Amino acid sequence: MSEIASETDRDSSSERFARGSRLVDLLSKTGLSLAIVTVILYGSFSSPVFFTAGNFLNILTSMSIIGIVVVGMTFVLVVGGLADLSVPATIACGAILSLGLQPIIGPVPAFIVAVALAGLIGSVNGALVGYLGVNPIIATLGIGTVALGIVQAAVGGVIVYGANPSSAEFVKGRLFGIPVVVLIFLITALIGHFILSRSFWGRWTLATGGNYSAAEASAVPVKAVKAGAFVITALAAGISGGLLGLTLQSARPLIGQGYEFSAITAVVVGGVSIMGGFGSVPRAIAGLIFVQLLTNVMVLEGVRTPVQGFVLGILIAGAVGMDSALRKRGIA
Amino acid sequence: MPRMIALVLKHRVAIILALTLTISGLIVPGYLSGTTLSLGLDRAAAIGLIATGLTVLLIAGQIDLSGGAIFALAGIVSVILQPSIGILPAAFVGVLVGGLSGAINGLLVVGLKVNSLVLTLATMLIFRAVAHWITNSQPVSGIDIMFSLAMAQIYLDIFSIRSTLFIVLIVLLHVWLTRTIPGRNVFAVGSNPTAAEESGIPAGRIIFFGFVFAGSLAGVAGVLQSLVTNTGSPVFGSELTVAVIAAVVVGGTRLEGGRGSALGTLGGVLIMAALTMAMEFQSVPAYIQQVVSGLILILLVVLDRTVHTRGRTAGAIPLLVTKNPITTGGKT
Repeated sequence: MSEIASETDRDSSSERFARGSRLVDLLSKTGLSLAIVTVILYGSFSSPVFFTAGNFLNILTSMSIIGIVVVGMTFVLVVGGLADLSVPATIACGAILSLGLQPIIGPVPAFIVAVALAGLIGSVNGALVGYLGVNPIIATLGIGTVALGIVQAAVGGVIVYGANPSSAEFVKGRLFGIPVVVLIFLITALIGHFILSRSFWGRWTLATGGNYSAAEASAVPVKAVKAGAFVITALAAGISGGLLGLTLQSARPLIGQGYEFSAITAVVVGGVSIMGGFGSVPRAIAGLIFVQLLTNVMVLEGVRTPVQGFVLGILIAGAVGMDSALRKRGIA
Repeated sequence: MPRMIALVLKHRVAIILALTLTISGLIVPGYLSGTTLSLGLDRAAAIGLIATGLTVLLIAGQIDLSGGAIFALAGIVSVILQPSIGILPAAFVGVLVGGLSGAINGLLVVGLKVNSLVLTLATMLIFRAVAHWITNSQPVSGIDIMFSLAMAQIYLDIFSIRSTLFIVLIVLLHVWLTRTIPGRNVFAVGSNPTAAEESGIPAGRIIFFGFVFAGSLAGVAGVLQSLVTNTGSPVFGSELTVAVIAAVVVGGTRLEGGRGSALGTLGGVLIMAALTMAMEFQSVPAYIQQVVSGLILILLVVLDRTVHTRGRTAGAIPLLVTKNPITTGGKT
């Protein structure tokens, strides 16, 4: 306690630095919430449809599919695994198999098999990155290409359509007034948050990402933890893909294209560092909410798609720039 | 025998290329004819030019995901300006736009000290958005189809303008990287930026010019593509990024920086092109082609990884241990 007090004393001794760092500290903690509030305020004033339950439900539903991936991707970034670029393949695996296997083994087993196989892809990624030390970008890019090819070969390279309307009804339906997809997203996020922030696995993940050698020396099974992050992401992407397939009732091989970048965007905008060792699921989801709200406002305002891409790009650049600036000050 | 293995591993890129060409030549009728090879080489040139720029960046420890977007943007600019300033000046401006885009990447990466993976992901979105913006998402076409035909002309049965340019550039780059001081400095920056900076090598400047070089070459590739096809399109080059990274990595350049070679990249580009050509001639479905190229990428990276670690543990340290009379119990 006294140590903390002396720390604060020393900080306030130099007023100029203290003022600067307090402001930055405040910004880093509340910046995102402020941004979200600003977007909501702007949206409500500029468009009559923005602040309605219907619109918010739309945003929630549309962010749920990608949100499940975001939960997994958070682990990859926190553990210092840079990014998982095999997400489009694992999503396609989830979607194509959960629809394609329906006539053979029924909807629920098909979904489970699809997610399990996506997890298998993740474990190959994990083995390459965690145990063989291959660069995550190359490993996930390569395995993603291979996996997507195999899944396509398995169904003959065609678009797969759903054969079980009742499962589609269930996924598109509501439970207690909340869309099922949103519920699944919330459950995934809660589990992800619990694992990352409350469990030993989460502590290991943060330790491995923060300082690999130190974590290894402290008997953290760093290789398994690193591999695990990729398995978690693949499982999440598999679930997300399965839900996407069931919602659309059709799955093409490129169904997951772009999801990897959207997920990375959300996580990075949420303030999770790409260098690893820092971040949480709620932060990543806050990033996702901000990106989704912003996109929604831009769509309602009639902003053209290319401009939206432009804004998103600047957003990511700004977020990483801020991350590195905060890092230099030793706050984030 | 170990020396044999080392020799084979050292020249693995050349050996794999020779094997690919031999096997394809035996299986595919007419594969080793001038027409086929020149076509393959011409198509490889677009990937090759971007890969040439990326080689320098990867050696310097950075990555550029925005190459494909710059490719599209530069091509569009060079086509759009044709009516007002003529074909050649427009082409020049297109290349300039590429260099400028690279300079933006470089400035942000060096200035903000951010991870180039995320930053070029952001600028990729931005450049792509600008490309969609100025074309209204429509393809644009040039003014003189005859000029395009002249550009696509094959000389000496095998070389087109862009394949010649690619080969000349990559050989020049090889000489520059291996025989000049700035070239060697790139390796120093890639293997340890702090140490390089301490020894008086301007790491920031080298990285910046690396990005400018990569951007310019992506611009050249895009402009040539647009001149040959007489078209500029905002969706051009979206699938190039993966192919380019794969080609460079297959050529033995490490993503972690500090290791790589221009001739290796030439080999990597040629291997990928030869494989694609052979599989297309045999009407192998696209998804099987993906599996094959993905597997080759993973295989080579894992091979590279195991060779590298074995070289360290089985080469250097045990030599000391076994030759030491104390550790071997005095029985030398």
